[in-house]
Amino acid sequence: MQRLLIWVAGMVLLSACNQTGQKEEGGTPGNMEEVVSATVEEILAQPAEYEGKQIAISGMVTHVCRHGGQKCFVLGEDGETQIRIVPGGDIDEFKIDMEGSTVAFLGTFKILNVQQSTALIEDHESQAHHDQEMAHSEAEKADYFIEAIDFKEVTP
Amino acid sequence: MSWRKWNRWIHRELGYLFFGMTIVYCVSGIALNHFVARHWDPGIISRSASYSLPAPLTKSEVNREVIEGILSLTGEKRNYKQYYFPNEDHLMIYLKGGHIYVTLSTGEMELIRIRTRPFFKEINYLHYNKPKKLWTWFSDLYAFSLILIAISGILLIRGRKGISGRGGILLGIGILIPLLFLLTYLWL
Repeated sequence: MQRLLIWVAGMVLLSACNQTGQKEEGGTPGNMEEVVSATVEEILAQPAEYEGKQIAISGMVTHVCRHGGQKCFVLGEDGETQIRIVPGGDIDEFKIDMEGSTVAFLGTFKILNVQQSTALIEDHESQAHHDQEMAHSEAEKADYFIEAIDFKEVTP
Repeated sequence: MSWRKWNRWIHRELGYLFFGMTIVYCVSGIALNHFVARHWDPGIISRSASYSLPAPLTKSEVNREVIEGILSLTGEKRNYKQYYFPNEDHLMIYLKGGHIYVTLSTGEMELIRIRTRPFFKEINYLHYNKPKKLWTWFSDLYAFSLILIAISGILLIRGRKGISGRGGILLGIGILIPLLFLLTYLWL
């Protein structure tokens, strides 16, 4: 059921993106990048396989960063694993009322290099509101994330 | 018309024209200052209330009945979304417009209601250039006009209170203070 949800959401998002692409570029079918549907656990089990690919992923949003909504965290099917999603494309921010909703995201899975990863952890540790370890802290410090270009709330 | 008359004209007319924009940027700037310093989030109003479960629970004991009981106790049945366990000892129940955070071992619950803060949401929206497009150009025009207002302002007064007198001293102090902060916190 979860996989079906992901496929449907992925196709809906991709068709919306493709229509935008056609309006801007004069419509050349076949320029569509392949979208890979995956769960959080599948991606994190083999991150190198998914790096740079367009991913359709769906899950409950457990937390939206209070500082400008510049990241959110999606829970995997195991109820424990989380992955960080950052806004890309035309997405300015994630709204706090997304928390607790099941949301389908379409975006690119990325892995930070060593320098970027170090900078991320330094930034994380310099921020007072991160003193307490939270359920999403591991995902927040991780060097992998998805840069979303579209999303849709599947259940409010 | 002499340059001083032009100067007064620029200072006066642009000052009136961009009064509103100055209020928007200054108030949201203060809010941003304290937001960045982690004092508060200006765009959000958060209210909390405490409750207690009749008895402590374990993660394995939490089921639909328990969730419904919590929602009844807090009066949030119609706002329910989903729940999950951040860890072994906590339960997070998401609501429309907030959440309930339960410490299972003690039975303590905190209901948090979140809503956007009016006025600050709007001015922050403008200050952070969320509209983009034409707003970007208009706010650039405002920024340029502020430079003109500032320059015309320091040239407005003549004599011992002007830039060649006390005004010049205050001008120097106003430039020195940020330089000192840079020297202390960034350059050294």
